[in-house]
Amino acid sequence: MLDRSLVEEVLRAALARGGSFAELFEEERTSFQVRLDDGRIEELTTGLDRGAGVRVARGTSYGYAFSNRLDRAALLEAAAAASAAARDGGPGTVVDLRAQEPAVFHRARRPASGVAASEKAAWVREMDEVARQAGAEVRQVVAVYADSLQRILLAASDGRWVEEERPRVRLLCQVTAARDGVIQVGFHGPAGLAGAEFVEAHPPAEVAREAARQALAMLDSRPAPAGELPVVLGPGTGGVLFHEACGHGLEADHVQKGISIYGGRVGERLASPLVSGVDDATVPNAWGSFSFDDEGAPARRTVLFAEGVLRGFLYDRLRAEEDGVPSTGNGRRQSYAHPPLPRMTNSYILPGTSRHDDVVADTPRGLYVRAIGGGQVNPATGDFVFGVSEGYLIEGGRITAAVRGANLVGRGTEILAAVDAVCDDFETREGICGKDGQGVPVGNGSPTLRIARMTVGGTGG
Amino acid sequence: MADRPDLLDLCRAAVAAARPGEALEAYAEESRRTEVEVRDAEVEGLTYAASRGLGVRVVAGGRLGYAWASDPGPEEVLEVVARARENAAVATPDEHNVLPGPSPVAPMPELFRAAQAGMPTERKVALALDLERATVGLDPKVRRVERAEVGDAVSRVAISSTTGILAAYERTDCWCAAVALAEEGEETQTGFSFRIGRELDELGWEEVGREAASRAARMLGAVKPPTARLPVILDPFAGSSFLGVLAGALSAESVLKGRSLFAGLVGERVASEPFVLVDDGRLLAGPAVAPFDDEGVPTSRTELVTGGVLRGFLHDTYTAHRAGTVSTGNARRAGYRSTPAVGATNLHLLPGPEPPERLLVRAEGGVLIQDVSGVHSGANPVSGEFSVGATGLRIGKGGELAEPLREMTVASTLPEILRAVVAVADDLRFFASVGIPTVLVGEMTLGGR
Repeated sequence: MLDRSLVEEVLRAALARGGSFAELFEEERTSFQVRLDDGRIEELTTGLDRGAGVRVARGTSYGYAFSNRLDRAALLEAAAAASAAARDGGPGTVVDLRAQEPAVFHRARRPASGVAASEKAAWVREMDEVARQAGAEVRQVVAVYADSLQRILLAASDGRWVEEERPRVRLLCQVTAARDGVIQVGFHGPAGLAGAEFVEAHPPAEVAREAARQALAMLDSRPAPAGELPVVLGPGTGGVLFHEACGHGLEADHVQKGISIYGGRVGERLASPLVSGVDDATVPNAWGSFSFDDEGAPARRTVLFAEGVLRGFLYDRLRAEEDGVPSTGNGRRQSYAHPPLPRMTNSYILPGTSRHDDVVADTPRGLYVRAIGGGQVNPATGDFVFGVSEGYLIEGGRITAAVRGANLVGRGTEILAAVDAVCDDFETREGICGKDGQGVPVGNGSPTLRIARMTVGGTGG
Repeated sequence: MADRPDLLDLCRAAVAAARPGEALEAYAEESRRTEVEVRDAEVEGLTYAASRGLGVRVVAGGRLGYAWASDPGPEEVLEVVARARENAAVATPDEHNVLPGPSPVAPMPELFRAAQAGMPTERKVALALDLERATVGLDPKVRRVERAEVGDAVSRVAISSTTGILAAYERTDCWCAAVALAEEGEETQTGFSFRIGRELDELGWEEVGREAASRAARMLGAVKPPTARLPVILDPFAGSSFLGVLAGALSAESVLKGRSLFAGLVGERVASEPFVLVDDGRLLAGPAVAPFDDEGVPTSRTELVTGGVLRGFLHDTYTAHRAGTVSTGNARRAGYRSTPAVGATNLHLLPGPEPPERLLVRAEGGVLIQDVSGVHSGANPVSGEFSVGATGLRIGKGGELAEPLREMTVASTLPEILRAVVAVADDLRFFASVGIPTVLVGEMTLGGR
């Protein structure tokens, strides 16, 4: 990583034309991926990415420049380009850079770089074999193993100097099954901030079985009903909904732009008293965790809802300064090529006390959602749409026929207010969250939840 | 970047490291990108980016390996080749892993505009501020933007291979986009518009601002309508989402892997007569235009659906070899970090003779759908079934736009929509790699209250 005296020189150059602070983010990332498709290991890819970004801020406006050359000339050029947005006169000061020790540390017990490519290839072959054995109707399998090691250095004119290594591992399996012209897809993709030991905890065979189970179960599906229904969201699925439909509206940039329905409502009871939610980057080895965020702020657990009451927002450095509060450690970026934004890390609805089977038994007619396919939300209105990738009818208090083509339509605040049961069976789902063209690893989690009423779009009338 | 080796030299150095019996391809790219984001008449963010990188494919004994590095030095180029070679050793052999041979490429000098490449940053800032003013200047209900941005990129691509490819070209790309906020009482609606082109001075930012504002303002007071079966018009923003799903199904890769709803349907009727679908990587008006694709094969025009009949699929060298045909020049990469795969290049629905206003008159009493959401999660690309959320406006007497509508759901299948297209308007508009005009679809069920 870069030398301390060069970093100081770059930060001074960045503040030469003014600005309230300057920062340098250096990154080196090695990555490896094996992809199996159509029964063949069709691709193994090794990557080496490296670069540095310089940011100069003045209030909430900033200049950002990056280069994937790390020599002095290129870094000083980036500093000059980034300072173009700040022109309020005299040069700013750079405080002595001091290294900070992490309070939480996510260790890779078995670094993925030490595992042979042939062993990783064997994991994806196993996923393919297990998925194909799950049923004669399995037509196609995509299996992926991916790991990366991201080493970062963050130095800022306020004296901050942070270094971190983030190891990441992911397994993905997508299974396509077909019968009598009906084609269904199942997916499972656990991931962690960890080394190859993650694969021991999430064996490839189990990942494949889960993806195949989904695809096969949905072959028996009939078109979903449309209308307003009670919806039971199985463990983990409510976390995806919480992230999309509520979490984005709690990111401080949305709030400050006046495009969040949560703006100015801290302290109000906006969700059912059964709902408590957090964003937590300190969860050990979780996909969305870290020791420091991408601005050098320590990882934190932030309470978003406490028994239904809105408690606060997610801040990066610039938005925290604007509101005169400390950063919550949510400044994240996809890579050195991007300026940081307020982003979620691991956003969880915390477990309650109800039992899954009791909640289903207590629902005469409704929709049971076991897997959600992702969704879209308009933060200004809170309107969202989610595709249901694995859904069932609830009839007479029992989970019955599988239904396909369902989607969930509604508003974030209305859904949280309508939660009338929270169970004790917490699970997580890992994904890549996209915002302003940047993807970052996020964890979503929840127990089983019941929404008293929700609009279900379907084709079955 | 003047002191760095030329991209083609970088590629040649990698190709020179190939061993006997190996096929090796080196792909390199470099770009300079500027993006200006403004809000409340001030620059909120200014991003300047300089990047370059190299990706190497090695095929040995039918096994394919890939490796890449950002801005590699001379020794790192050899390191990248070595990694790609190691990776190939672990892959499954496949006789269809072949690299294309050279073909004559007609250059496209129009893609590079010196005026754009030399535009000072101050001018881009001024244009972004103009765009914001144009967005908030017309309608009293639209006083703020969520975002107004202007950006450009100057890039160069080079490819060289042991099979005789040696090609490079330069391009300029630019874009401007605005998200307007319309406000009334407690209600906020957003409206999006954008343009993509080669030179910022040709983009027409006034029109982008006006359109973003109008798309936001006209949604104020939106209500959830009762469920009904009505004639539907898809505006280009809504239509393009579906075209994206269609693009995946028309890839020969999806077909060969049993993931396309069009598998086995070449020569069959799949759409109504007015639905004419063409992919054209040489169309200068399209954003995805290029002289050659991302493995060096010349781009071409490919008719996919004409006279309502499916004519073929999009191919790269791998799928063409496997299917016993020739590449259509549709190998695409997300950049030097990834291997090429089949992708659309200006896949578009040919415009019809009528302006969109005529279509509105024909759909009186129906609904204009302005936006759909959840297509990427709500559509099954294999079966073509989808169920998505939609917002839009009721079409009143004489084709006038009336009451705004929200929280509608549309559930159907792609094959059903293709057959139901009644007319296509003349307002073709491109969204990254796909383009579509306003389309009149027959009756559809719109779910609501």
